Amino acid sequence: MSQAIAFLWPAFLVSVCLVGIHAYFGIQVLARKVIFVDLALAQIAALGATVAFMLGHPAQSPATYAYSLAFTLLASVLLAFTRLWATRVPQEALIGVIYVVAAAVSILLIDRAPQGAEHLKQILTGNILFAGIGELHAIAPLYAAIGLLHFLLRRRLTGAGSLVWEFFFFATFGVVVTSSVAIAGVLLVFSFLIVPAAIGAIFARSFATQLAIGWAVGTLSSAVGLAASFAFDLPTGAAMVCTFGGALGLSGVLYAVLHSSRRTAWRMAIAAARWSMTAILAGSALQLVVAPRTDQPVLDAAEYIFPSLRTIYLTRGEQSALADASEHAERYRTEAERLNDMEGRSRSEGEALDDFTVARISSLLRSYGEMRNGEQFVMTEVRGRARQRVRWTVSFALLALALLVSPGPWRRMWAQARVLRLKGRPE
Amino acid sequence: MRNSSQTKSILLCFAMMLACAYSVLAWSALAQDRVPIVTTTTDLRSLVEAVGGDRVEVISLVPAAMDAEEYQPKPQDLLRLKNARLLVRVGLDYDLWLDRLLAQADNPDLGRDGAGYVDASFGISVLEVRGLSVGPGHAHGLGNPHYWLDPKNAEIITSTILEALARRDPANVSIYEANRLAFLARLETKLSEWETKLAPLKARPLVAYHNSWPYFARRFRLDFVGFLETKPGVPPSPSHLAAILQTMRARAVRIIVREPSQPERDVAFLAGKAGASVVTLAASVGALPRTDDFISLFERNAEALSAAASAQ
Repeated sequence: MSQAIAFLWPAFLVSVCLVGIHAYFGIQVLARKVIFVDLALAQIAALGATVAFMLGHPAQSPATYAYSLAFTLLASVLLAFTRLWATRVPQEALIGVIYVVAAAVSILLIDRAPQGAEHLKQILTGNILFAGIGELHAIAPLYAAIGLLHFLLRRRLTGAGSLVWEFFFFATFGVVVTSSVAIAGVLLVFSFLIVPAAIGAIFARSFATQLAIGWAVGTLSSAVGLAASFAFDLPTGAAMVCTFGGALGLSGVLYAVLHSSRRTAWRMAIAAARWSMTAILAGSALQLVVAPRTDQPVLDAAEYIFPSLRTIYLTRGEQSALADASEHAERYRTEAERLNDMEGRSRSEGEALDDFTVARISSLLRSYGEMRNGEQFVMTEVRGRARQRVRWTVSFALLALALLVSPGPWRRMWAQARVLRLKGRPE
Repeated sequence: MRNSSQTKSILLCFAMMLACAYSVLAWSALAQDRVPIVTTTTDLRSLVEAVGGDRVEVISLVPAAMDAEEYQPKPQDLLRLKNARLLVRVGLDYDLWLDRLLAQADNPDLGRDGAGYVDASFGISVLEVRGLSVGPGHAHGLGNPHYWLDPKNAEIITSTILEALARRDPANVSIYEANRLAFLARLETKLSEWETKLAPLKARPLVAYHNSWPYFARRFRLDFVGFLETKPGVPPSPSHLAAILQTMRARAVRIIVREPSQPERDVAFLAGKAGASVVTLAASVGALPRTDDFISLFERNAEALSAAASAQ
């Protein structure tokens, strides 16, 4: 536990630092409507690094960084001009083209490189888990300086100024993105950029409030994402991106609840939930009738949660066949694990197993695998047949359930019919 | 007199030209005579060359130092397959992309039941077979595919190759047999050298980035106690990293093995935390300088490992 915290602490500090600068740039980027400029700049920087690599510079050398920077600055000129060209074509389209062409050129280059595509992947996917205090020393002063510059020049950098200021904006942004992506990877940096800024834009109008909200939400989401990645044993970057996405979704719901009339919001949310339930149930009923042997996610989930459901639609013989098959499959699995374990330990411990024994173990393992496949086939077959047998009843029940859940006028009609029937009855 | 010397020199020129033309023709005939063979990886190319010698013309589809599991075929590859008489693949789901390429290449001889199709994993004692379940370590249901990293497995692989070559070019079987035996004899002497070199590592547990080394470990009796990457392409979680670090401290792991295509930074981070050193090993022929063929691949790896062990 304490060890994981020792890992996560620098990662958290780096996240806070990244959120600090990216939430600000995110607000600017949202206002300029150039959402994917971050990806384009990151890709251009990677292209620069690739060129440096092709010329024989090692991956994390100053020369490589210089190439990245030079490419980023060139791209900034191009990006500054896209605003002029964007009269007939949206600016975002041009940015998208810059992104894909830079990516494609990198692939073409790397195809000729001795080291292959892995190098490109390495540049593009930094992992925040491996960020240390050293990284913090490098980026914190840089980002603070850029932030200060932007603060001093805030009247010039509105997005409507001259092209020189646009160039300055994209160039500084490029420097930030290049360093951030190398530390945290493309996906996470994009989340740092867009999500806090978007949440700020949902709840506030003034720049300062948006930024404050973005910082708070970004820091909180980073902490939650890091904690979740530790608690549930998940890859850190991906867990954090999902947390940021969840935060945005939650903010959307919260906004709806706070701002429109609360009752309408709830009613709409409930109606949406009921309609989706209805669609899932009715679709599942239809699928069961049309293709009873295919995967049935709803039924599988229901069986997983309430295993006793099996006793309803399986005969006693089928139940015991299923239990037998599952028990055998498990036995083969544990036996195979035991053999694998034994072979693994014999590599370095005790007497080495001779080639003949290892060949026997290997063929035994294959047999166990085949036998497990067989048992698994039996399990699907038994359940498939049983489901085919009961498909009409079950799909009728599912349909009824769907009607019951749906927010349609059925229930009112039912109530009216009862009232009518009561009225028609002789006193 | 003058005339005769002129005639002589003209004749001489003519003869030289004839000789040149003949040698060019003979050389091209020899080149045409060579059996065109395609392998998926450079390791298999090296082994096919060891058996085929100068009677074969071998191309590896995946260039050296590229990850063969994630190779993206190119149009030229179709042409290579179309013209090949023999195809040698790693199998065990390692080069899955080949199947789609084969379907397009229009060379039924190289299809799964064709006379020119060779799955080099045939007859290999596959380690870590885990059936359907994607267990910890390698995500290959059919077992760990890095079997060429046991030099002893070259015996089996080359015998499979020999058999296929005998089918395709029966006239030269004796040459192929002699080549193979000479290669295996050379490998045998080298193998004992490597075993001596790596003997000091027996008591030293190792950690690797990716589980590419079970066959290597078995042959040289090495103890890989953990892997950074639990599944190919998925970065580790903090708890996994913490567990590895704990193992490294508990078992005093001083060496982390990395391949050139694997992230330097992640490995350096762990090495820094655990006070270990990083050794870059080539898992394939050509992945590093001085690993130009099957034997030099192990030569270099053994050297690097023993140097790292003696440095501590």
